[in-house]
Parts: sequence; structure tokens; C-alpha cells
Amino acid sequence: MNTSVRRVAVLGGIRIPFARQNGPYARASNQDMMTATLEALIGKFSLQGEILGEVSAGGVLKHSRDFNLTRECVLGTRLDPHTPAYDVQQACGTGLEAAILVANKIALGQIDSGIAGGFDTTSDAPIAVNEDLRQVLLEINRAKSPAARLKALAGLRPQQIVPQIPRNSEPRTGLSMGEHAAIMAKEWGVTREEQDELTVASHRNLAAAYDTGFLDDLVTPFLGLERDQNLRPDSSVEKLAKLRPVFGGENGTMTAGNSTPLSDGASAVLLAGEDWATAHNLPVQAYITDAQTAAVDHVHAREGLLMAPTYAVPKLLERNGLTLSDFDFYEIHEAFASQVLCTLKAWEDPVYCKEKLGLEAPLGSIDRDKLNTHGGSLAAGHPFGATGGRIVAGLAKMLKEKRSGSRGLISICAAGGLGVTAIMEAA
Amino acid sequence: MLPLFARAGAAMVPGASKLPFVGGGGGRDVPDLALHLSDVAIDPDRLSAYNRVCGFDLRDEIPVTYPHILAFPLQLALMTDPSFPFGAIGLVHIANRIAQHRSIRSSERLDIVVRATPVEPHPRGKQFSLISEVRVGDELVWEEVSTNLKRGGSSENGGKPPGAELPKAEDLPATATWSLGGDLGRRYGSVSGDLNPIHVHPLTARLFGFKSAIAHGMWTKARCLGALQARLPEAFTVEVAFKKPIFLPGKVEFCEAAVPAAAFDIQFGVRDPRKGSSHLDGRAFSG
Repeated sequence: MNTSVRRVAVLGGIRIPFARQNGPYARASNQDMMTATLEALIGKFSLQGEILGEVSAGGVLKHSRDFNLTRECVLGTRLDPHTPAYDVQQACGTGLEAAILVANKIALGQIDSGIAGGFDTTSDAPIAVNEDLRQVLLEINRAKSPAARLKALAGLRPQQIVPQIPRNSEPRTGLSMGEHAAIMAKEWGVTREEQDELTVASHRNLAAAYDTGFLDDLVTPFLGLERDQNLRPDSSVEKLAKLRPVFGGENGTMTAGNSTPLSDGASAVLLAGEDWATAHNLPVQAYITDAQTAAVDHVHAREGLLMAPTYAVPKLLERNGLTLSDFDFYEIHEAFASQVLCTLKAWEDPVYCKEKLGLEAPLGSIDRDKLNTHGGSLAAGHPFGATGGRIVAGLAKMLKEKRSGSRGLISICAAGGLGVTAIMEAA
Repeated sequence: MLPLFARAGAAMVPGASKLPFVGGGGGRDVPDLALHLSDVAIDPDRLSAYNRVCGFDLRDEIPVTYPHILAFPLQLALMTDPSFPFGAIGLVHIANRIAQHRSIRSSERLDIVVRATPVEPHPRGKQFSLISEVRVGDELVWEEVSTNLKRGGSSENGGKPPGAELPKAEDLPATATWSLGGDLGRRYGSVSGDLNPIHVHPLTARLFGFKSAIAHGMWTKARCLGALQARLPEAFTVEVAFKKPIFLPGKVEFCEAAVPAAAFDIQFGVRDPRKGSSHLDGRAFSG
């Protein structure tokens, strides 16, 4: 058994442009999008015919019949079919968690290379049958005699035809994620202006990333879409100020503009040990240095649903002997502008840092010019499982372009009170 | 169950209580009766249906509120006994206290006894309680005191309504919002056997003066305990007072707060999201 830990290299990634719900990808399945993305990655790094250590990917809105979806995607690509695969699901943390899982296996020497990915479609979403109908159908299935089947059939009722559409709400609190974020925004006193400013920066940065060609080898066109459909390069605080609040009631501060829209898309990242990268003549862009997950009690203790990264990051910093200001880039997933701002305010707050995080002093502030410098989820959209791959691939390239030894922090909040965070360093 | 409710319903018909087989008006005080059911087995299908409608995870141990529905036929039989002084319909369930001495496994056979306490004064009428006890062999494992109010003829010296000292739901922080379907009363009614017309349909509820069907108090209590299930100890007491009815369909807020430093003491409640008024005030605690 290998007792040493190897460095994990990010060689690069790619994604399809993210589309809005019921947009250009309305009829594309998760498998369609993920397969197309894997094919683009295979083309980018000449992986055709390769046996990789594994492919790990996942999505949030997935039908149970797609139990082995990532494996099915691999079988639909030019990768050698001997490449194993599995599905991962950790809500919006799925993509980054997939990368951490692959990275850990590489670090331990269990595999030499792997792809981490993620996908989600909110358009081609699975629809469950009405719970009552499901019970009757299962009863019919269980029935052993024709008489028992007839008896079970008698349980059918016209109203059972109404299907169950997936709802974006927390099972234990009954509140949607937006409603939870609105409670957080109120608690932390996040203003509408702050949120709209952050939103404008996200659109402006993403537009610049397209215009400068930064995204040329990170995004591959799909179904006629070349750029993220949600991107509004001309977004402005004045325009955003006109939108009506959608969460938090009449006097709420959260709008459709400063919240991410439901979207469709997929992403993938190639990770490897350094020997494998050298053998394949592929340059290393960055390393995945460390990762940390955390969770909050949003159910009984009423902690902010999306505040788990505030717990994870201090642990990550301490373990690596770093402070919050020791980074060149901060990639904080923008589920909602308010949630990013709550996270930053929490790290600056002495009481929160002491009582919740057990820190003697506040974790500190970040240089806002280093935050989501090439755009975030507010501009790009957020197909839940695909966001981690988008961020890892983008940050690896940013670090590579910055300088050797430059450092980036990733922070992703997720449903269920979860948080997934990681540190990456330039090669 | 239906024949029992038919008897209970007949008590509403003017003059019906004069008939020999109808409960209500038979006596001044509750009868000195104890009804038994022995060797009661727990039906796995009914248990899973109950858990689903009340929000409990299905475990080998039954929910703390489950024995209530096993005792319910006896409670109804007692209240429809010809010697019973009130008709079962028209009684208001105002409080419920359950003490679980140890958790009950779904494989256990239960002996159930139900009796009633003497009628006492209440500020708004008269109250009495149904005492239900569950034993496994000789071991008392579960007890319930279910208090009912008969409105009107209010007693001069008031008396103390049970649960008055419970924390008010409006003073507790809300931790969840529940959307309750219009069919909730029918769903809970079909698994619990409590098909009281005020719960099952808006039209039948209207006959009894409600603007629509109302949620069962015992469903509301069970749903709260479902939300708290992960934190419940093996032995504890849970006491609730039923306040304003929950009209269906509707939305309610679930509220809870653990009492600091106590071994196990959780205050909880269900309230109207807009008015803040209590539907249920409750407390679960060791002892």
C-alpha cells in the first residue's frame, strides 16, 4: 500500500454554455449534455481510446432510472470502455465533491488519472407520479393473484393523475432555498444595492472573460448556444433596481436578477498525478491542495441554510497555515448575491466568528477585486451539478496565468445546509 | 369504526339521546367502565401508512403517538356507551399527554385498557379525560391522558384547563413551514380510524359549524413529534394543548426551542404564520 500522498494536478476542463430553463437545451437530457461535455474534454486533451482511472460526475435532478448515468455517458464517448465511472450527488456541491473524490484517489495512488464532472437539467426534469398513485401501482405490482391485483386497482382515483413536479424546497423546513436566503439576508442586513452591485460585477466579469478570449478553451458550443444564455453584458444597477422582489416578501431585497436562474448545462475537469501528466505530455495548470466540507443545523438551530462554507473555510485555512487574505482569487459560488455577502459579513463579524466558528478574532475580509474575477453563477447560471467543474476549470486557468505559486479558494454552499470548499495552487 | 361513529353521530339528532342505544345523556357522570383489548398486534402496512402521513421515519420502534390509534376504538366505544353523559360528537379534544416509559417495538403484543376520569369543571364547560394504558405482559410501557371539553353550562368555579402552563407557540422560533393538503383529514382519518366528519370533508365539517375541514389534533401532535424524531429519547413525556383549529388546506409554522442545560426538554408548537396564534402548544421532556 502506498503510504505517501501525491500532488493532484488539474490539467484543464471544459463545459458547454449554460442555458436557461426551457431554453436551447429544453430537449437535451443530462446524459446528452454530459456526454457532449466529456467528448469535448476528450478532444481537448486527446483522450480517445484512453483507459482513465475513473470518471466521477453527478447531478441533482436525476431520475432513478439514470442510476449509472456517468457510466452510460462514458460508454457513449471515445474513452476506452474499460474506464470505470460512478455517480455523485451532494446538491450544489456535487461537482466540487466529485473533483475531491477523484483527487483523493489520485493523491493516495489508487488511480493516476480521472475526470470529475457534473450536470443538471431543470428543463428535462424527472416527474414523479402522485404519491397515492405510486402506492397503488406498487400494490398492484406486489399483488400475487388476479383478485389481489383487482383489489389494488380499485384504489385508483382520478385525482391521482396529477404528477409530482420536483420542488426546490428543503424537506425539513418546507422553505425554498430563496426563502432561506432571504432570512439570511435580513439577519445580516444585506442591502438590495449591495446585492445588485455584486450581480453587475458578475455579469461584467463574465462578459470580459468571453471578450478577452479567456473562455475560448473552457467553453464549447452546444446545440447552437455559444455563450451562457443568462449573461447580460449590459447589466447595470439601475436596470436591476427596477426588478420586483421575489423572495422575502414585499420589502424583500432578493430579485430574479440577484438570484441565479434555473439552468441547464454540464462541465468536466481532467485531474491526474504528475507522472501521468508528464507521460501524456500535458502541462499542469494547478494543484488541488486541500478540501473541506461542513454542515450547519438549519433545521432545529435555525442556522442560515447556505452558511456552511463559513465553517469549512477556517478549518481549511488552519490546516494549511493560511489566512483569509493569502489568496489571489476567491471563487465563491453565487447561488444568490445575498448569500455571498452574508458569507463575507460572517467572516468579518467578531461575534459570529467567536460563537459559531470558535475563533478568537474575525476570520477577516477579502479584497473584493479578487472575488469571482471571471464571472460567477449569477451571470453564468447554475446547473447545480455543473458549477463545481466550471469553477475548478476556470480557477486552474486563472492561477496558471497569474504566476507560479498563486493561490485560489473555492467556496460552494449547497442545499441541506452543506458546504464544500477547496484550495488550489498554481503549478 | 363506522358503526361506532354512526352511534356517535346519532347523538347529534335532537331527541336521539333518549333512544336506548345512543350515547349522550345516559348518565350524569362518566361510567365506571374500563374497556380492554388484549394481545393487539401492530399491522406493518397500517404502521407505515401512519408514519408516512405523520412524517415519522419507519423504524422497528413505533412512534410515541401510535398507541393512541390502537386505543382509539376503545375510547370511541366508551364515549358511545349508553351510560356516557355526552355525545362523542361535539366534544372538543383540548389536551393530550403521553408518557412513554420505554419505546415499543412493532413486533410486540400489546394489552390496552381505556377508562374515563370523573367530569370536572372547566372555564368553558365541563371536562373529562380518557386514560389509556398500554402494557407488554405486566409492564406498563405507555400511558395517555386525553382531555375533552363539553362546551356550555360553564362551571361557576372555573376549574383549570389542562396545558395552561405550556409555553405558547407564538413565543418560540419557527423552524419549518408545513403546507397541509385539503385531503389531510381523510388521509389521517383512514389510517387512524378517526373519521369524525369535522375532519374528513369541508361539507361535513360545515354541518358542525366549521368553515372547512380541520386537521386532527392528534395528527398535529404526531407531525410535531415526527419533526423531532431524531432527538427523542427512549422514555419521555409529551404534553400538548390544542388551541385554535387548523383549517384545511392551509399553511402552518412549526416552532421549537430546546431548554438549555436540560437533559431533554423541548418546547414546541404549531401556529398560524400570519396571526401568530397557537394551534398547538407543547412540551416534550424527560420524566
